[in-house]
Amino acid sequence: MRKKINIALVGNPNAGKTTLFNAITGARQHTGNWPGVTVEKKEGNVKHKGHEIQIVDLPGTYSLTAYSLEEKIVRSFIIEFRPDVIVDVVDSSNIERNLYLAVQLLEMGVKVVIALNMMDVAHGRGIKVDANKLSRLLQAPVIHTNGKKKIGIRKLLNQVIDLAKTPVILNKRRIVSYEDKVKKEIVKIENNFDKIPTRYDGLSNQWLAVKLLEKDEEITREFHDNSTRSSLIKQVQESRNRIQNNIGETPELILTTARYTFISTIIKQAVQFHKSESVTLSESIDRVLTHRLFGPTIMLAALYLVYMFTFQGSEPIVNFVEGLFSSIGGLVTKTLPEGPLQSLLVSGIINGVGGVLGFTPLIAFMFLAITFLEDTGYMARIAFMLDRILHSFGLHGTSMLALMVSGGIAGGCAVPGIMATRTMREPKERLVTILVAPLMNCGAKLPIYALLIGAFFPGNKALMMLILTIISWAMALLAAKIMRLTILSGIAAPFILELPPYRMPTIRGLITNSWERTWMYIRKAGTVILTISIILWAMMNYPSLSSEKSESFMERKAAITSEFLTDPAVNNIFKSQKNIEILKQFLGQEDSKELKKKTPAFLRLAAALNNNGGKLNKINPAAKPLIGYIADAYLKYIQKIETLKGERQSAHLKNTVGGKIGLALEIIFKPIGFDWKTNVALVGGFAAKEVVVSTLGTAYSLADVNPEMAESLSERLKKEPGWNPVLAFSLIMFVMLYSPCFATLVMIKKETGKWRWVFFAIFYTTTLAYLVALGVRIVATLLGLGVS
Amino acid sequence: MNKQTFLNLCRKTVKSKIPIEENCTDCPSFPEKECLDENVVTLSSYKPGETGTVFQACGDPELRLRLMEMGFIRGSEVKVIKYAPLNDPMEFVIKGYHVTLRRKQADNILMNAPIKTT
Repeated sequence: MRKKINIALVGNPNAGKTTLFNAITGARQHTGNWPGVTVEKKEGNVKHKGHEIQIVDLPGTYSLTAYSLEEKIVRSFIIEFRPDVIVDVVDSSNIERNLYLAVQLLEMGVKVVIALNMMDVAHGRGIKVDANKLSRLLQAPVIHTNGKKKIGIRKLLNQVIDLAKTPVILNKRRIVSYEDKVKKEIVKIENNFDKIPTRYDGLSNQWLAVKLLEKDEEITREFHDNSTRSSLIKQVQESRNRIQNNIGETPELILTTARYTFISTIIKQAVQFHKSESVTLSESIDRVLTHRLFGPTIMLAALYLVYMFTFQGSEPIVNFVEGLFSSIGGLVTKTLPEGPLQSLLVSGIINGVGGVLGFTPLIAFMFLAITFLEDTGYMARIAFMLDRILHSFGLHGTSMLALMVSGGIAGGCAVPGIMATRTMREPKERLVTILVAPLMNCGAKLPIYALLIGAFFPGNKALMMLILTIISWAMALLAAKIMRLTILSGIAAPFILELPPYRMPTIRGLITNSWERTWMYIRKAGTVILTISIILWAMMNYPSLSSEKSESFMERKAAITSEFLTDPAVNNIFKSQKNIEILKQFLGQEDSKELKKKTPAFLRLAAALNNNGGKLNKINPAAKPLIGYIADAYLKYIQKIETLKGERQSAHLKNTVGGKIGLALEIIFKPIGFDWKTNVALVGGFAAKEVVVSTLGTAYSLADVNPEMAESLSERLKKEPGWNPVLAFSLIMFVMLYSPCFATLVMIKKETGKWRWVFFAIFYTTTLAYLVALGVRIVATLLGLGVS
Repeated sequence: MNKQTFLNLCRKTVKSKIPIEENCTDCPSFPEKECLDENVVTLSSYKPGETGTVFQACGDPELRLRLMEMGFIRGSEVKVIKYAPLNDPMEFVIKGYHVTLRRKQADNILMNAPIKTT
């Protein structure tokens, strides 16, 4: 069996690396994360000429200095894992800067194949690269490739296999010729290397010497750790001082300049520029898209489109998935007898799975939109235009997208919003964006707003929504600013952002990338979300009512039923409880012929109950008063039963773990004015914010509250003592700001990699919510408002 | 151009002429007379459409090295394309590609006097 060949793909961002990776691996790839960090890791494999080739797509970097997270990943991957061959993807249309990374790789002494990519773009700009000359000058194979058109893939793989087979020659060649004063010092440092093994064995000694001279943190530390190397350390220090004194510059600057000087001599020989003064298409597009006035306008429209695409575009599929799961739930409800098993299956598992999969279309659509923005190059322009504003709050231009999707336009969702931060490369700005995204008005908070606004601020619905949107932005930006000044302080990451030329992304690339990211969500987050949703379901359902209490409710129900049945008029039709059940069935399906035959007596009653004029006319006028009387009695009976059912559910809820937590929280929430009913709803909202309305309904003994038809609850709250516009507004503020739902928390864990940020998110949001809600009450009291 | 900021930058730079390894604003090669030379300005003072060559990248070591790696080395030609809608950041073309920097970062790049091209 032949040995598996490991290759790593490196290159500048926007050099077409991922497109080339997709072209090589096709569907045989998967996306994950680098251990401990949240930079995406893509791996794939391909069979070529009987060789199994394993490919890792390393993050795009401009350099290997190991300042940024991406650079650290790339460098340590090369050092630790030692891929057989490194393929450096070079953008021919931007060759000078791209070669900087190539030169660094060659200096390291690893086996490099240069993939000269995007020749078509270069040609269009009058740039001609002589691959043979370039290969000779760099002493490395150079292959023309085109990821989009899949040109040069076979040649590239042939070259990779050839190079992998050639034995490792410890690289004595010197790629960059540094000036004599510097070279002398490099040689002196090299002479001080000993035979003690390090993690850098097998890499070029010159590279190591250069890195020590540049005071590379990681490598210096490695050599410092060993006390036997004091002569080496001394030498490095002496050399640095000498260079600085003789040339008057730091070694880093001299070495960097020397690399670029070397590159420009190569360019002079191997690249021809037929300079065309004409403005490229990309530049003309940019004149409009980043125009002082049109730019921001178009950007807002584009952001709105992304939002619409994510939420409206995915709606049919979301509805389909939700419909599917509710019909499965309905089927199980019918098949299984009522009881804990049915409840676990329907409310726990099926709802949980439905919840996980319900997010999936949202996430897939969002990633499709975001990948499109990234691949076309427009994302960089968004960052460019918004940086001034967001930077002043300690965020980054690209934070905008995540905040918008999270609910910057009311109705988003923080789960895809937090996933959208994957496109951010600045670790601190990204973390802050993740932490403040849940403060936005996500779709699940809207039913609560609708309920409370409907009940207490009925005249100003639109105005209230506008105010709430502004408040949530203000809170998020304020929280971001405070975090950046305190726990996440530090200099902002340098904003050296490339504005790549506009490009048309490939459909296949778009689909592959967004699918891989979505699949990762299902695999990683889905399982956790499902588990926790079952636990939360149990919390809101157990323990059940004690048997005595349960019995007392049964007795009351029996009493109501027998009272109804003993009415002589009613007794004409309803002989026993069984008849009531039959009527209920009958009302559901009046057209069933079988039922009509079975119970003709119910026909008229049903007509009366449904107020069916046509059928009512057929009834003998003499019988009408009696039918009317029975219908009224029946309705009253049903209402009593429903009220009792509501009371029972409320009592049950109060008895569950969630209810007990709600009761216990009364001490804390008393100052704001929340009682156990509100508290338990807020505890339920931890599972998903939309649950707040239905739990509140249950707590207020309303048997069934559909969030969209919460009118009865709204009527109820208006009448309830203690409820007034001030309390309603406090609750709105609290719901807007308090702990993210657990699905969001799972995403925070996945995206930050640390539990402490999850706990921090719960703590700070809830504290903020409490203080703001309390503030509302205090201010209102001082102003003498809403005292009821 | 803000003369005061510029002079401060110069002073910081000149102070570190004596090799101090830990000095984070080292630009040791920056001589005092050039600093007062009317012809050396910061990149942030360039207007859209102006082109000029880099004299020296300054600033803290990380930013400085990063700028140099992106091509801001002595002699490189830089053209200012435009300012962002709110005037910050700025967009440049250097070594054939487009890049943006915040004004505060562009303050760290000393340039020879610009030539108006378009």
